[in-house]
Amino acid sequence: MAIKRGVSLYSYQQEEWFGRWTWRDQLREVALNLDGADGIEIISEATIPQYPYPSEAFIDEFNTEMARWGLQATTLDAFPDPLQFRRDHVMNDAEMAERLKIDLRLAKKLGMKNIRVLGNTIDSVKLALPLAEELDITISQEIHFPSPIKRDPNSQRYNKIMDILEYIEKTGTKHYGFQPDFGVFRTAPSDVYLGYYFRMAGYEEYAEHVKAVMEAFKCMSYEDLVEWAKKTYPKVFNGGWADGELRPASAAPEELKLIAPYIYCVHGKFFHMMEMPDRPGEYEDLAVDSEGAIRVLKEIGYEGYIDSEYEGQRSQQDRGEAYLASEIEEVRRHQKMLKRLIEEA
Amino acid sequence: MYDSFMIQADSLKNDVVNGETVGFQFIVRLANYRGIYLSLASGFYVSVDGVEYGEDVQTLEINGKAPRTMAEIARAGFEHWDLQTKAILHIRKPGGLEKGRHDIGYMPATLDGYGYNAHDEEWVTNPPKPGTRGGGKTHHICMFDLELQE
Repeated sequence: MAIKRGVSLYSYQQEEWFGRWTWRDQLREVALNLDGADGIEIISEATIPQYPYPSEAFIDEFNTEMARWGLQATTLDAFPDPLQFRRDHVMNDAEMAERLKIDLRLAKKLGMKNIRVLGNTIDSVKLALPLAEELDITISQEIHFPSPIKRDPNSQRYNKIMDILEYIEKTGTKHYGFQPDFGVFRTAPSDVYLGYYFRMAGYEEYAEHVKAVMEAFKCMSYEDLVEWAKKTYPKVFNGGWADGELRPASAAPEELKLIAPYIYCVHGKFFHMMEMPDRPGEYEDLAVDSEGAIRVLKEIGYEGYIDSEYEGQRSQQDRGEAYLASEIEEVRRHQKMLKRLIEEA
Repeated sequence: MYDSFMIQADSLKNDVVNGETVGFQFIVRLANYRGIYLSLASGFYVSVDGVEYGEDVQTLEINGKAPRTMAEIARAGFEHWDLQTKAILHIRKPGGLEKGRHDIGYMPATLDGYGYNAHDEEWVTNPPKPGTRGGGKTHHICMFDLELQE
């Protein structure tokens, strides 16, 4: 057994938004063009028509298409939205659990083995856990940037991941675990995001500046980097969203060992696949340590799915049609990289 | 996100009711990747040629229903705005817009979220003014140069 490859349909969000590709087209792409990838992760609200109460016809059709292409349902991504009952009250834990239970039942109908949660409280997950056990679906806390994994003894910051780990180990539950996102292992700011923030600040030519920021990230402390960036590019780094690009990795791949038995799915987050200078036809993302993460996943014997999760498209939607990224090509390149890293010794 | 696509380019036109021009309208899309429960749409920043139009003159026509005020939309906690759904944003402005091109500033204000935040209780009754905070995944007011359609 080895690590398996899948795709989160999140990766094709732009094709879906423009109405160019349906979920059927996306399934076909994964089955036919990704050299052995067979996992499918879906976004509850986006993929399921008439969410949260789809027709039986959709359920049948989805399961039929999955079987037709020999695909495996990996994960359903769920969301809580605490302000859903606006003008009345903030959603409480019991209501958050009820919403999760709706998603658990949907996941079961669609053959999913796992649900990804992110902002759901631990208490709300505990309330939904008996149903997850009954349906035999795991609930996985996503470990998403800027979340740490290990507890920092010098920090007062609340560490949800370690609290969940303690709960799992105390109760022995087989249905609560983790879904790490490779975005926590960042090695540089993403060039496509930096490009967007430079454009927003009025720059027309910025390729050299993007390169300079990526280089500075590698050789400066975070504090020095912030100071340098604000001084050098005051219109770009001024307390807004661009500053987030300067933040360091929030975890190291080795930390995956702390949660090894409880990883039920993995997000292969990426932003921009570039051809490797010394290996024509092979690709890498300079912003994410996919190599380190996969090396550790192999060491711990992980045999589940890594689902490609492309997120570079949204930083390239400000200049009209001609500048849109190709999600299809990006995912193909990412899958080629995953295959290489999984198969390499 | 979708900075140059959130308003459908050929959709700006005047709203005419019983022969009287009561305002203008255009087609809007969500700036996220998953859709939202409709209640989470808390208003829209709209400016035309530098003049702002607030929630008190906005109604949203969506899901095949008649245009609703933002107060009515706030109560639609069990109705979903699907990712591909186009909605018509109506702005009350007696006389409508003049013929020709207009500079439209636009940003949706939506309250979709991943978990609890310190401001949640405050936002139940007093959400941030559209245009002051990110709407979905778009964090600034986007500009559109649109021609009024006949």
